[in-house]
Amino acid sequence: MKKFMQVGAVVCLLGSAAFGAPTEKYLHVRVTNTSDKEVVSVNVPLSLAEKVVPAINHGKLSQGKVTIDEGEMKDVDVRAILEAVKNSPDGEYVTIQGKDQDVRVAKSKGNLVVHVTDKSKAKEKGGSKVDVIIPMSVVNALMPSDKHEIDLVAAIHALSNSGEKLMVTVHDSDDDVKVWVDAESGSNEPSAKE
Amino acid sequence: MLLVGKILLGAAGSVVAMGAMISSEGFVNVKVRETKPDGVHLHIIAPVILMNIGLHFVPQRNLKNAAEQVKPWLPVIDATVKGLKDSENVQLVEVTGPDHHVKVATDGGYMVVDVTDPGDEVHVALPLSEIDRAAHEIAAAGPTL
Repeated sequence: MKKFMQVGAVVCLLGSAAFGAPTEKYLHVRVTNTSDKEVVSVNVPLSLAEKVVPAINHGKLSQGKVTIDEGEMKDVDVRAILEAVKNSPDGEYVTIQGKDQDVRVAKSKGNLVVHVTDKSKAKEKGGSKVDVIIPMSVVNALMPSDKHEIDLVAAIHALSNSGEKLMVTVHDSDDDVKVWVDAESGSNEPSAKE
Repeated sequence: MLLVGKILLGAAGSVVAMGAMISSEGFVNVKVRETKPDGVHLHIIAPVILMNIGLHFVPQRNLKNAAEQVKPWLPVIDATVKGLKDSENVQLVEVTGPDHHVKVATDGGYMVVDVTDPGDEVHVALPLSEIDRAAHEIAAAGPTL
């Protein structure tokens, strides 16, 4: 009976270790240059980024945090704005339709969504389009209570805990840039998200 | 006869021990193939320990500049190597062009770099731990801060 219980305990421990182990997430960046016909893919395990970023001590980046000069913030309390966005319902917050640019900022399904279309080069080069989808949990982690720093490590940690997301796409006449997170170690094309 | 046997056994044991020591830290694998008809084909598989020994013979003055550049980044190199060792095999970078292909990946504790262009094919595989060790070795050659 004792032996049976011991075996049971070992099985339970192994089971909990197997199911409790978090799945590794990868940050993927893919740049496709249409004129050079060149594709650059970068795949970084988020756990690696979480270990490496705090070790970088260069310029304004130290201990995984980027210091923002007070002058750069121009008395804008970003934290308060994020807090307000976090507590607000889904919806469009900013919509600008200008001669050169269209900008749309919205909150949707727990994500901060930013779409920018640059129309200034549209006639000669086809313009450029930027779409950013970032989980609110990541945005919140980026900005800790001290409004003069950006916490990259906390953001990476939040990113690894968030679902798989297509985060950034940039498209212009020469380049296509895609940044996304998923559990695939390879750089397979992300499926359409959001 | 018994004495000869003992000597042979001792020699064989020494050879095995030396082989085990040499191979314990892994191997560096470098393969270069020029694709032109009379091109060079080079394939070197060398024990990492030889690379370490070789590094000791490089005059310190030649490593001074490299040491100054490497030293501030040692914590980053340490963290990267440790992180890569802890991670599963991953293809870190891939560049694909019309006539070239570059791949940087980790595979079984090795950093593997493959470069293919119209003139050459190059393959380099180096144990991750050796990158860290070599960086520290080079940094140690510089002036102490």
